[in-house]
Amino acid sequence: MKKAKRSVLIADRVADHTITIGGILVIVAVLAIMVFLIQQALPLFKAGHVTSRVAYDLDAGSEPVAAMAMDEHKTFAVVLLTDGNVIAVHAKTGTRLSSAAADFQGKEITSSATTSDRSSMALGFSDGTIRLARIDFPSAVIPSSELPAGLHKLDDRDLTDGSSVYSRVPGNQYRHISTEIRMEDPLAVSESGKPIVALDCNAGGEAERQTRAFVAVDSNGLATLNTAYGSLNLLTGETRTTVEQTRLPQIPGGVELHAVALTPASGMVLIAGKNGDVYRYNTSDTNAPVLAETTRVLPEGVDLTVFGFLLGGQSLVVGGTDGSLNIFFLLDRDAANTTDGRMLLRTREFERGGSSFVRFDPSPQGKSFAIAEASGALKVIHGTSQKTLMSFTPDSGVAEYRRILLAPRLDGLMAVGSDGRAHFWEFSVPHPETTFGALFRKVWYEGHPEPTFTWQSSAATDEYESKFSLVPLIFGTIKAAFYSLLFAIPIAILGAIYTSEFVHHRMRSVIKPAMEMMVSLPSVVLGFVAALVLAPIVETWIAAVILAFFVIPLALITTAYLWQLLPLRIALRLEGVPKFCLISLTVIAATYGAYRMGPVFEDLFFAGDFKSWLNGSRGSPEPFLFLLFMPVSLIAIGLLASRLRGSRRGDRPEARVHTRAGRIRPAMVDIVRWLVMLMGAALCSYGISRMLGSLGLDARGSLVDTYVQRNTLVVGFAMGFAVIPVIYTIAEDALNSVPEHLRAASLACGATRWQTAIHVVLPTAISGVFSAVMIGMGRAVGETMIVVMSAGNTPIMDINVFNGLRALSATIAVELPEAVKNGTLYRILFLAGLVLFSMTFVINTVAELVRIRFRKRAMQL
Amino acid sequence: MVDSRVTYTESLETINYPKHGGRGVVIEIKDFSLWYGHQQALFNNTLSIERGLVTALIGPSGCGKSTLIRSLNRMNDLIDGLRTQGQIHFSDENIYNPNVDVIGLRKRMGMVFQKPNPFPMTISENVTYPLKVDGIRDRRLLDETAEKALRAAALWDEVKERLHANALGLSGGQQQRLCIARAIAGDPEVLLMDEPCSALDPLATAKIEDLIYQLRGQYTIIIVTHNMQQAARVSDNTAFMYLGKLIEYGDTRTIFTNPKHGRTQDYVTGRFG
Ligand SMILES: Nc1ncnc2c1ncn2[C@@H]1O[C@H](COP(=O)(O)OP(=O)(O)OP(=O)(O)O)[C@@H](O)[C@H]1O
Ligand SMILES: [Mg+2]
Repeated sequence: MKKAKRSVLIADRVADHTITIGGILVIVAVLAIMVFLIQQALPLFKAGHVTSRVAYDLDAGSEPVAAMAMDEHKTFAVVLLTDGNVIAVHAKTGTRLSSAAADFQGKEITSSATTSDRSSMALGFSDGTIRLARIDFPSAVIPSSELPAGLHKLDDRDLTDGSSVYSRVPGNQYRHISTEIRMEDPLAVSESGKPIVALDCNAGGEAERQTRAFVAVDSNGLATLNTAYGSLNLLTGETRTTVEQTRLPQIPGGVELHAVALTPASGMVLIAGKNGDVYRYNTSDTNAPVLAETTRVLPEGVDLTVFGFLLGGQSLVVGGTDGSLNIFFLLDRDAANTTDGRMLLRTREFERGGSSFVRFDPSPQGKSFAIAEASGALKVIHGTSQKTLMSFTPDSGVAEYRRILLAPRLDGLMAVGSDGRAHFWEFSVPHPETTFGALFRKVWYEGHPEPTFTWQSSAATDEYESKFSLVPLIFGTIKAAFYSLLFAIPIAILGAIYTSEFVHHRMRSVIKPAMEMMVSLPSVVLGFVAALVLAPIVETWIAAVILAFFVIPLALITTAYLWQLLPLRIALRLEGVPKFCLISLTVIAATYGAYRMGPVFEDLFFAGDFKSWLNGSRGSPEPFLFLLFMPVSLIAIGLLASRLRGSRRGDRPEARVHTRAGRIRPAMVDIVRWLVMLMGAALCSYGISRMLGSLGLDARGSLVDTYVQRNTLVVGFAMGFAVIPVIYTIAEDALNSVPEHLRAASLACGATRWQTAIHVVLPTAISGVFSAVMIGMGRAVGETMIVVMSAGNTPIMDINVFNGLRALSATIAVELPEAVKNGTLYRILFLAGLVLFSMTFVINTVAELVRIRFRKRAMQL
Repeated sequence: MVDSRVTYTESLETINYPKHGGRGVVIEIKDFSLWYGHQQALFNNTLSIERGLVTALIGPSGCGKSTLIRSLNRMNDLIDGLRTQGQIHFSDENIYNPNVDVIGLRKRMGMVFQKPNPFPMTISENVTYPLKVDGIRDRRLLDETAEKALRAAALWDEVKERLHANALGLSGGQQQRLCIARAIAGDPEVLLMDEPCSALDPLATAKIEDLIYQLRGQYTIIIVTHNMQQAARVSDNTAFMYLGKLIEYGDTRTIFTNPKHGRTQDYVTGRFG
């Protein structure tokens, strides 16, 4: 006896521990997923970090620096001085490497420019000529066996033969890198042979027929737009360059020039004076440039210090002596007082520097740029996210930098001081584009007329500005969940009430498992049925579908009233399966009716064509407003009527035994009352729609708008089908668990079954029903395949039911396979996962809390 | 055995209330039989309930008391496979006529169950439920009725401060009186009580019994009880049932002091049951 008791105790304890451990493991697993997601997403919000820093003297005299270049691997740094001297150093150590000086025949470089991709540059000379040039870093990987003899060591990775560098790369191989400066023949640009004072250039064309465009301004203020076509002579292998030149309209005399800027497709030339005046030339027709706009980009009295485009030529970075730093876009504006209807607008404002920004270098990769203050402080900033990626200050005070240079892969910054010292920082900024603001707030993207929430993660070119706003995706998720719940909740809950309170238990034992089986319907099947079958049907029969929303409920209510007219004896006999069949038949008949009446309805309400009505090209707004207000006014009138009726007492039915006539009369009265209410509602909503219509209100353009085949309506249907069984099953269980004695109490008070269901059963089970809805919502929010397949995946923020959407889950499913591991998109998708997880977590937690409360209350009963 | 008999007689003496005397028959059960599926639960019962009096139904467990009382307001309708034979007349209408308005019938017969079953709502919502079901929303009328019913159920003083508190917060006895108040609020003619005190302690039971005295005359009350003393104390007439059959029906004093049938005698003296 004692022994048995002990074994029971042990079993009890083991079970207890197993359950506890199991529960803790589940919690740990959920937390671990959360921690993992956070850990994956967190680096997005971090700035960069420095990996190494060096400073060394460049034996560069006091000549200004005309150009600088660096290879992708940060091996070489090449500095071209205005007198033609070339200083090549090993960037990491500052070891001087030999390189041939360029021969400028005694001419000085007076201005220079580099294309935004850094493939070539233009050098302007004191005699009014221009030479196109390029600094290349030819590289080849060789096996270590082919390493020449007599190399000496630069650092633990690199060896040199004095002019080129051998860098060890994985796999016992070496990368051989050298420098090569190629100068093309001088092109006479200034007719009068005056020095070129400002220059900007861009590369274009294809590989076979390269074009390089450049704007040059000579000291007379003569500005020219030049396009150089290089043509390869296949016989000799030489390239010949021909230049087409167009003069730009003269800028006013007395303007002290600061810089010129040219957009990539040569569509626009900006000439900026020192005082902040900017002359914008529209050069889209290169033969007939026009001065389109004269504007100021700085307040009065502030001088220009920084002026140049970011990669892509859309964001114009402007810095002034007041320490300000702004980005301007050229945008279409109705208010623009310019010849082409566009104007330069300040769109982004950066944190002011302690002193004015004086040096600027855009990254050839993405929208980052480096900027140097007059005080010597340096920053690397991302133009879109406005995130300060890096900031540096040299140990030794620097008066001023001659020039700064961002490494091609945005992983290094070199600054040459006026004292001849070069400072070189290596750093790593894995995710320059992301800040909290860029992900969750409105951002004014290049080319957009105003700040927007936009998701556009991948692009064809480097120049493309990535748009990583999660807001449209969150919006899409909520929109899909909202519309599917709008469809699912009434059906699921009414269905649950019907089966738990009205249906014969034999019927119930069939319906319930059938619905439970629907829960396990693969959502991918629902998704493709929705996309391939439902979407075209809904599109073709859209008017009928809208009509069905009105016809089916009306038909059901009417049938219910007519049912009361049946003789009781027959009604009692038909209770059960025949009644259920009648309900189904009513739905089918109403659907068929809607289908047949669809075209008539379309003619009557939408001027014959729903889609062109949606576009606003025909029809008036009133009919739709009428439909919209019909249910609202019906409910309002119904409530009003019952309130009016309820205030009188004494009309208790004294009828003890209903004779046939005694039963039919009240039913007839009911039907008449219902018809009167319906008419009243129609009249009321007609009045409202006329009033709103005359006020100029129109649902088109907001609630409904252009029709897309894979739209939210279809998603609502398909996801509704996924969600209905979930809500139905849980809600039905909740309703069913309401103790029988409460139903008995209610019925004994003379309540009908419907009154019992609505006034007693539903309120008692409300928390269970609520948690059913929440779990359904959780499912709708997390649902992936249906939205991937049937939502169209357009990341737009539009409440229009007839437009598509893009949900968080769908985005993750679609884009994760293409995202580079640990890249920005990859981590953003994890962040999207975290957001989704948090949404479902919150929803499920609320559901669970409500459920716990519900259990407590159920225990009291 | 003799002792207990003395007790009943004593208790009858102590009550000493004036006998109302029947004001006519309100419910007439005529040759009524009932089957749960194939199992017959009631056998050809015939019984008339007098208006304004308290009628007790007694009998051993499973003899069909609940079945009979639930037949009176057709609460048995909810049970699957139920079949009846015979008639029950209420105000001269056969309530088993298929055309009868069951909802209306139930409104005229309040019912109190064995286990207190207040709705998980506020006290006032509970009491006014029958009115709500009638579609009455006039606040003043609802409040008046609630107060009247709660006073009638001797609960007013205990709950008037917390009419809007959840009814489930009341004690078992209070809950049962609330259920009585709810039954009264619907302004019924008959009150059906199926072992209303079986879940209550003696004090609460005494309160309910007091209440029954007070309601007596105003309503026709039919009460099922296992407590002989209670039956003896509160009822005017007593019906003794055994195995689905009405064995003896008559004046309470007669049933307890001078029953005709041996079974009745055995039962009321506690020899079986
Ligand atoms: N819902 C039902 N389905 C089938 N049989 C039932 C049902 N309710 C009661 N019975 C049967 O009918 C008979 C009478 O039951 P009833 O509940 O009326 O007895 P009772 O006198 O109220 O007993 P108690 O004093 O224990 O409450 C019993 O044999 C019982 O098993
Ligand atoms: Mg019973």
